Amino acid sequence: MMTSAVNHYFFSSIGRKQLVAMTGLALCGFLVGHLTGNFLLLAGSDAFNIYAHKLESLGPVLYLIELALTGIFVLHLGLAIKLTIENVKARGGTKRYEKKVKTGRGTTFMSQTMPYTGLVLLVFVILHLISLKYGTNYPTTVDGVPMRDLYRTTMEYFASTSATIWYVVAMICAALHTSHGFASSFQSMGWNHGKYFKNVKRIGYLYALAVSAGFAFLAVWAHMKGV
Amino acid sequence: MSEKTMTINLKIWRQSNPTAEGKLVDYRVENVSPDMSFLEMIDVLNEQLVHKGEDVIAFDHDCREGICGMCSMMIDGKAHGGYKNTTTCQVHMRLYKDGDTIVIEPFRAQAFPIIKDLTVNRGALDKVIMAGGYITASTGNAQDANAILIPKPIADEAMDAAACIGCGACVASCPNGSAMLFMGAKVSQLALLPQGKVESAKRSLNMVHTHDQLGFGNCTNHAECEATCPKGISIEHIARMNREYLKAAFTYYEKDRSEGGA
Amino acid sequence: MPINLESKIPAGDLKDKWSKHKFDSKLVNPANKRKYTVIVVGTGLAGGSAAATLAELGYNVLSFCIQDTPRRAHSIAAQGGINGAKNYPNDGDSVKRLFYDTIKGGDYRSREANVYRLAEVSTNIIDQMVAQGVPFAREYGGYLDNRSFGGSQVSRTFYARGQTGQQLLLGAYSGMMKMVSKGKIKMFNRREMMDLVTINGKARGIIVRNLITGELERYAADAVLLCTGGYGNVYFLSTNAMTSNASAAWRCYKRGAAFANPCFTQIHPTCIPVHGDYQSKLTLMSESLRNDGRVWVPKAVGDKRKPEQIPEEERDYYLERIYPSYGNLAPRDVSSRQAKYRYDEGKGVGPTGQAVYLDFRDAIARDSLATIAGRYGNLFEMYQRITGDDPYKTPMMIYPAVHYTMGGLWVDYNLQSTIPGLHVLGEANFSDHGANRLGASALMQGLADGYFVVPNTLSHYLASNVLEKVTTDDSAFKDAEQAVVLQTSRLLNTKGKRSVDEFHKALGHIMWEKVGMARNEKGLKEAIESIRKLREEFWQDVKVPGDTGNFNLELHKAARVADFLELGELMALDALERKESCGGHFREEYQTPDGEALRDDDHFAHAAVWEYTGTNSSPIRHKEELVFENLKLATRSYK
Repeated sequence: MMTSAVNHYFFSSIGRKQLVAMTGLALCGFLVGHLTGNFLLLAGSDAFNIYAHKLESLGPVLYLIELALTGIFVLHLGLAIKLTIENVKARGGTKRYEKKVKTGRGTTFMSQTMPYTGLVLLVFVILHLISLKYGTNYPTTVDGVPMRDLYRTTMEYFASTSATIWYVVAMICAALHTSHGFASSFQSMGWNHGKYFKNVKRIGYLYALAVSAGFAFLAVWAHMKGV
Repeated sequence: MSEKTMTINLKIWRQSNPTAEGKLVDYRVENVSPDMSFLEMIDVLNEQLVHKGEDVIAFDHDCREGICGMCSMMIDGKAHGGYKNTTTCQVHMRLYKDGDTIVIEPFRAQAFPIIKDLTVNRGALDKVIMAGGYITASTGNAQDANAILIPKPIADEAMDAAACIGCGACVASCPNGSAMLFMGAKVSQLALLPQGKVESAKRSLNMVHTHDQLGFGNCTNHAECEATCPKGISIEHIARMNREYLKAAFTYYEKDRSEGGA
Repeated sequence: MPINLESKIPAGDLKDKWSKHKFDSKLVNPANKRKYTVIVVGTGLAGGSAAATLAELGYNVLSFCIQDTPRRAHSIAAQGGINGAKNYPNDGDSVKRLFYDTIKGGDYRSREANVYRLAEVSTNIIDQMVAQGVPFAREYGGYLDNRSFGGSQVSRTFYARGQTGQQLLLGAYSGMMKMVSKGKIKMFNRREMMDLVTINGKARGIIVRNLITGELERYAADAVLLCTGGYGNVYFLSTNAMTSNASAAWRCYKRGAAFANPCFTQIHPTCIPVHGDYQSKLTLMSESLRNDGRVWVPKAVGDKRKPEQIPEEERDYYLERIYPSYGNLAPRDVSSRQAKYRYDEGKGVGPTGQAVYLDFRDAIARDSLATIAGRYGNLFEMYQRITGDDPYKTPMMIYPAVHYTMGGLWVDYNLQSTIPGLHVLGEANFSDHGANRLGASALMQGLADGYFVVPNTLSHYLASNVLEKVTTDDSAFKDAEQAVVLQTSRLLNTKGKRSVDEFHKALGHIMWEKVGMARNEKGLKEAIESIRKLREEFWQDVKVPGDTGNFNLELHKAARVADFLELGELMALDALERKESCGGHFREEYQTPDGEALRDDDHFAHAAVWEYTGTNSSPIRHKEELVFENLKLATRSYK
């Protein structure tokens, strides 16, 4: 049994939880990069399109990155769903206690809604890819270089009120999801030291607020600015 | 010591055996003194049932001073009533008001099958300990007790974890029916102490795998266990176990020496 | 068969007896150990440590536990600590001093050789428990910390916050679980021993009730270890756990194991007072609190002012006044009796008058609130949860309560009862504490018996007896089981009007009033009469609902109370016959002018050993004379 400890790891409660944690933190990192890029929207169409074009022109490297990102996302999602199903079974089914009350000192709204906010984000990501990454491809030229006018696609997308509202709702879900997920990942990895963990939690909340607010701000800004 | 008494309405889970259909049954207890303990209030109810010739409510209890870990009730949806650092037997009726309705259910989890009424089988917790929650130190092996010095903060931290009474409130209150706090407390206690470090890797691997096979759920860091733990055990101990387990899974190695050998 | 009370104390110098005895004992070869099966009933400190150790040695162990897991045995509730003659604090302790303190504390009614052995192995226990991961309190340098307990002037008590019993039990339990996982211990949870089975005069098995299914089960073995604790619950209200009972020991008594000193009960001075007739149990506040707390009552009779309003000069710190050298750390029997005197004088406090103050005001002023909270925080919290009062602000109220029973089944130096093969360990035996047990010594004795004594003496028994193979089909098993079946059906079919608890409370009331802290001839005779009458009523009027064949809690209680109703009478009888005062046994007729116990060493320097002779005949009182070769019998003084 010992020699197969590593194999067991990937099927164990703690092992899989740690994979969810690591992939979650990786996705958190990705969001920071994504948001930084998005802020170029404020700098105007050329800056944004050049940035998008540079990413595009990475070619195979980009595919690798996208593949890795997809892998991380699918792993995070798949394991989380699997663990959630197991957990419902472990607590003895969906109906457990006549009175559903929590102490108020443990479970939070964020922690309880992780599966739901997660599913909203899944739907969001799919739709987000369809409407933007795989959305209308307007050709343009910047400084003589032909490239995709992703700026226009984006601004057109956010011109719609319903799309903007949906985007903001999704960002609220992202805030809820990461505000539990960020510190939770540290706990899962075992990085909970009495001396520092309070700050990790604070950073988690700050992260959740800053990143989600950043994305939502850009969406609202784009909507207000119009096409 | 107050003179006023109260009337308390109870809704108690009655289930005659593990496979029978159970249901909540209404009871009414009068003349409840605020100085009574919660279990004494149920004693009074049981005395009434005896006189009516009815089967008494089966509930686990023993020391009634908050240390044996036998008592186990979900009181109004919260393990042990959800009061800070308190077991069911230490809940006193002064916390309730005249006319209150209290719902009492057993500790529920896949790994804790119901035996009768409010009594559940928590044998799975023993199995987790059996998988490695000990230090292999056979009687007579020990060196002088002061031979290995242990810094006070480490000894205190180990004691925090060791305070676990094995009541299972962590499992019952965990939205995932996980026994991570119970197991984490033991892994952490023994990993902190120099005597226990020796077999820490093997211990954490075996205990975690046994835990998983017993039908306990996975930890998603709600910390509801920490909130209801009657001994206030922190989820920092789960973190320490996570760390120990991660380390062990990727580094623990025993060569197969079954063939050949000296 | 005449009863054999040979103590088997080895000859020779006191300090060499145990090592000589170990050398002289026969051993069982390692390969042969696996051919033997040993039954261990009870999983407290004695049973748990014995089961683990015997399994490690290679015996097959069958372990029986009344709770749902061995980790809940009532040893877990011990708070204060465990004594060990380590002399780490360099304050003059030694094996000899622990021996001396224990004999003196027991008011010279215990065996020298047993007590010396206990003191001798006490140091190994501390080593063993540390090795098993017990997180004893430590100082900043990493060394173990000690505190002092009643009846001694040195600090030799090791502790793990206020949860020492728990930590030691979990240590023993973890050792058991290790051996369960290796298959050397077979664990039987939620089982209650109903009878002992003897074949050819030797203990060869037990009948147990599976508490969940109600079925009776038979188990055979080569020896039986009884580690089932004391019988304090005969008083109904005690600090014992709800399932703590005397039935296993009592059934052994009825099978021929003699019962020694049943009247020696310990009334612990620091418990939370009784506050209502619905009360189910009493809660102990650790004796360690007396390290810093000061015990007092108002000087004036009937002073109903709040404690904070009573000025210093109107307070009587009576323990400090009467016992200047031990002060608040006077031994338990002495402190309890003094509290009772205060109540008798009308100086008791609280709504019932049955309480005295234990005050931390001065300790908090001296050492700071944080220091006191560090030492006793969890005890203070517990007190507040139960009473609603905050001991940081107002003094605790405490009163004596039944806590421990020094009496128990008679055993020889090998811990063997008068039935060959039946060994009795821990509180269930009578061996080491005489007429009064010192604080932090129960844990020590349980572990000494289980870890270090019985593994040696049991091998001698097994190696020196021919034990023919027996099976549970033997007629002795059938007969014993049949007797239990009959008793069970009688309990269920009486269908009277009074509940089991009503009888238990009535018995407890008689015991507390007449066989409690102070006893006299008239009261004891009345007690015997009342108990007999109550017992008759029980069998005519008890009401036990439900049936056998399932988890019937009332039936379990009924069987225990039936035995308490017999044991209570024997306790009163023993108290009546012991015409002296010693330790926890205080006969009002025998006291010094200032109210201290007056021993009669000429007539009572012996253990009273009772032999059962049948339902309708009186038990016979035998004597085991106590020989004091190393200590001079002296009047016990803590002044």
